[in-house]
Amino acid sequence: MIYFLELAGRPIKLFVEESGKIVLLFLSALTWLVRPPLRLRLIAKQMEFVGVQSLSVVMITAAFAGMVLALQTYYGFRMFGGESLVGATVALSLTRELGPVFTALMVTGRAGSAMAAELGTMKVTEQVDALYTMSVNPVQYLIVPRILAAVLMVPILTILADFIGIVGGYFVGVHLLGINSGIFMARIVEFVEMDDITNGLIKSAFFGLILSLIGTFKGFYTTGGAEGVGKATTEAVVYASVSILISDYILTALMF
Amino acid sequence: MEKFSNEAKVGILVVISIILLGYMAMRVGKFSFTKEAGYTLVVYFDSVAGLALDVPVEIAGVEVGRVRNIALEANRAMVTLMMRPDIQLTKDAKAIIRTKGILGDKYVELIPGSDAAPLIEPGGRITQTIPTTDIDSLLNVLGSVAQDIKSLSQSLSNVLGGEEGERSMRQIVDNVQEMAQTLNDIVQKNNEDISTIVGNFTIFSERLKEIGNANTDDIRSIVDNVRKASEHLETLITGLHEITVKVNEGKGSIGQLINDDQTVKNLNEALASLKGVTEKINKGEGSIGKLVNDDQTVDNLNDALTGINDYIKKQDTYRTFLDYRGEYLFGSEEAKSYLSLRIQPREDKYYLLQVVDDPRGKKSTTEYTRTLDGVTSHEQIVEIEKDELKFSAQISKRYYDIAFRGGLFESTGGVGVDYYMYNDRLTFSLEAFDFDADTNPHLKFKADYTPFQHIYLTAGFDDFISEEGDESFFIGAGISFSDEDIKTLLFNVPIPK
Repeated sequence: MIYFLELAGRPIKLFVEESGKIVLLFLSALTWLVRPPLRLRLIAKQMEFVGVQSLSVVMITAAFAGMVLALQTYYGFRMFGGESLVGATVALSLTRELGPVFTALMVTGRAGSAMAAELGTMKVTEQVDALYTMSVNPVQYLIVPRILAAVLMVPILTILADFIGIVGGYFVGVHLLGINSGIFMARIVEFVEMDDITNGLIKSAFFGLILSLIGTFKGFYTTGGAEGVGKATTEAVVYASVSILISDYILTALMF
Repeated sequence: MEKFSNEAKVGILVVISIILLGYMAMRVGKFSFTKEAGYTLVVYFDSVAGLALDVPVEIAGVEVGRVRNIALEANRAMVTLMMRPDIQLTKDAKAIIRTKGILGDKYVELIPGSDAAPLIEPGGRITQTIPTTDIDSLLNVLGSVAQDIKSLSQSLSNVLGGEEGERSMRQIVDNVQEMAQTLNDIVQKNNEDISTIVGNFTIFSERLKEIGNANTDDIRSIVDNVRKASEHLETLITGLHEITVKVNEGKGSIGQLINDDQTVKNLNEALASLKGVTEKINKGEGSIGKLVNDDQTVDNLNDALTGINDYIKKQDTYRTFLDYRGEYLFGSEEAKSYLSLRIQPREDKYYLLQVVDDPRGKKSTTEYTRTLDGVTSHEQIVEIEKDELKFSAQISKRYYDIAFRGGLFESTGGVGVDYYMYNDRLTFSLEAFDFDADTNPHLKFKADYTPFQHIYLTAGFDDFISEEGDESFFIGAGISFSDEDIKTLLFNVPIPK
C-alpha cells in the first residue's frame, strides 16, 4: 500500500524538487548577472556558439517550414478559391508560432544539449569544484553567459527564421504554385501586424531562457560519471522541448 | 573564417537580423511607437452584424482609421472609430457598413459630406448612417415589391380579364369604329346639302346688305335709342360706383366692417399672437410650452404615474388578517388560545397584535430583599395569575422564504424566525422569548399547515427546554381571514330590513 502511494508521490516530489532547483538557479543567475565582472568575452563566445553556429540549421528548418506550409495551405485554400490567402497564412503562422518554436527547438537540440554535456562533463570531472577553489563562482562563470546568450540570440535567430520562412513560402507559392506575387505580398502586408512579429520575438526570448536554463541546470547537477552526462544531456533536450511547447501555449494565450 | 572573431560573427548576425526586422516592420506598415494617435468618433448603427473590432475605416477605399469599440446602447450598436488625426469630417458625413472580399469581411466606409458643413469635433458623432442592405433585407423588400405588383396585375386582370372584360373591351373598340364610320357617312351624304347651305348664306348676306342700305334712317334711330339707353345705364353704373366707393371708404356698417384697417389689424394681431403662442409652445417657452416640450414633463408624468401605481399597488398589498388559533397542550391537558390581528402593509412585512389566553397563566416574579439583623436575604415570590391575558406585539420582515420576527411574545421580549414552504402553505416557526438570567428561555417550535383557504392546522413542541417541566407537545387548529374576506362576509350577510 505504502509502496503504491510512494509510486504515485515520487514523480510529483521529483517534479516539485526539480522546479524549485531550477527557479533557485534562475534567481542566483539573475543576481550574478548584475554583479561585476560581466564577462563579455565569455558571453560573446556563447553568443557565437548559440547564435552563429545555429544559423545554418535554423535557416534550413525555417525555409522548409515555410515552403511546406505554403504547399499545404494552398491545397486547403484552393477548395474555396482563397489561394491569395496562402501568403498571409504562411507569414502569420511563421511569425506567430512556427518561427519562434522551430528556432527554439533547433537551438535546444544543438546548443541546449551541448550546454548540458559541457557542464555535466565539467561537473563529473570536478572542474566546477576547481572553479570554486579559484573563488570563481561557477554560476557567474558558466551559467550566466549561456543564459544571456540564449535569451539574446534566439530572438535574433527567430527574425531570420521568420524572414527565410516567408521567402521559402513565397518561392513555393509564387514560383511553383503560380499565385500572383503582388497579391501574395499584399495579403501578407494586409494581415500581418507588427504585434505578430514582436509577440513572436518575446516568446522566442522566453524560449531562449527556458532552453538555456534547463540545459545548464541539467549539466550543473549531473552526477554519475559519463553515463550521468549522457542522461543529463538527453533529459535537458527532452525537458526543454516539452517546456517550450507548453510555455508556448501559455504565452500565446496570454499575449494574443 | 579565422580572421573573424566571435564578437564580429555575432555582430554581423545581429546587424543582419535587425535590418531584416526593420524591413519586415516597414512592409507590415503599422510602424507606430505611439499607439492610438488620432481622435475618436461615434456612430450608431441599427445593426453591426459581422463587424469586428479593429477593422479598417475607409474613405474612398483609403484607410483612415480603425474600429476601436463596439457596444450596445439603447438597443443600437454604438461603434467607436479611431480616426487618423489628419482626417477631418464634416457633420453631414455618412457612415455605412460594407462588405469586402470573398469572405465577406465587414468594414466601415465613410462618405464625406460637403465642404461647407461644419466639422465634427473629436469625440463627436456621425449622425447619418446608411442602412446596410444585406441579402436578407433586400429579399424582404423585393418580396413586398413582388406582392404589390401581383396585387396590381390581379386587379387589372379582374377588370380586363374574363369574358366580360374582353367583351366590354371589344364593345368599346367596336363603338369607336362605328362612330367614325357614321361620321364619315354623314359628311359624305350631306356633301350637297352643305354646299347649298353655304350658297344660302351668301344670298342671305347679300340681302342683308340691301336691307341695310334701304333702311339706313331706321337703323340710325335705333342706334340713337341704344345710345340713350346706354346713357341711362351710365347713370346707373355711376350710382353703383358711388355705393361701392362708399363701401370702400368705410361708410356704412358693411363699409366699416370691410374697410376698417383696425379690423384687419386686429385680425392680423390675433393671428400673430396665435402664431407666437404656437411658436412658444413649440420652442418650449412658457408653462404650456414647457409642459408640451420638456422631456422632464413626460418624466414627471411618468414618475407621477409610477407613484400612483405604487400607491395603488400598496393599497392592493395592504391587507389585514384576523386570526384565531387554539392549541391543545398535552403536558397540562389544557387549551391555549390566541386571537391576533395581522396588519400587512407589504408582502414582505407585517405587524402582529395578539391576545393570548394561557392556561398556565401569567407568571409574575417579585423579588424581596430583606435586611434583618444585618443579614440580607432574598426572597422570590412567583405569582401566577391564571385568568390574566398575555399580549404579543411583533413586527416581521420577510426575505424570500425566511421571515424574522421580533417584539413582545406573550408579554415578554423575544425573537422568532419563520420558514415558508409550498407557496406559504406550510410554515415552520421557531420562537424564543421570556429570557431570564436564572431560567432557560421559552422556546417554541411549531409547524402550521394550511390545507384550505381559511383554516390551518398546527402542531409543535412548546417550551422544550423548560426547567420547570412545562415542556409540552401541542396540536391545534386555527382560522384566518383577511379583511377582504371579512368584507365579503359582511356584505353577503342578509340584513333584515
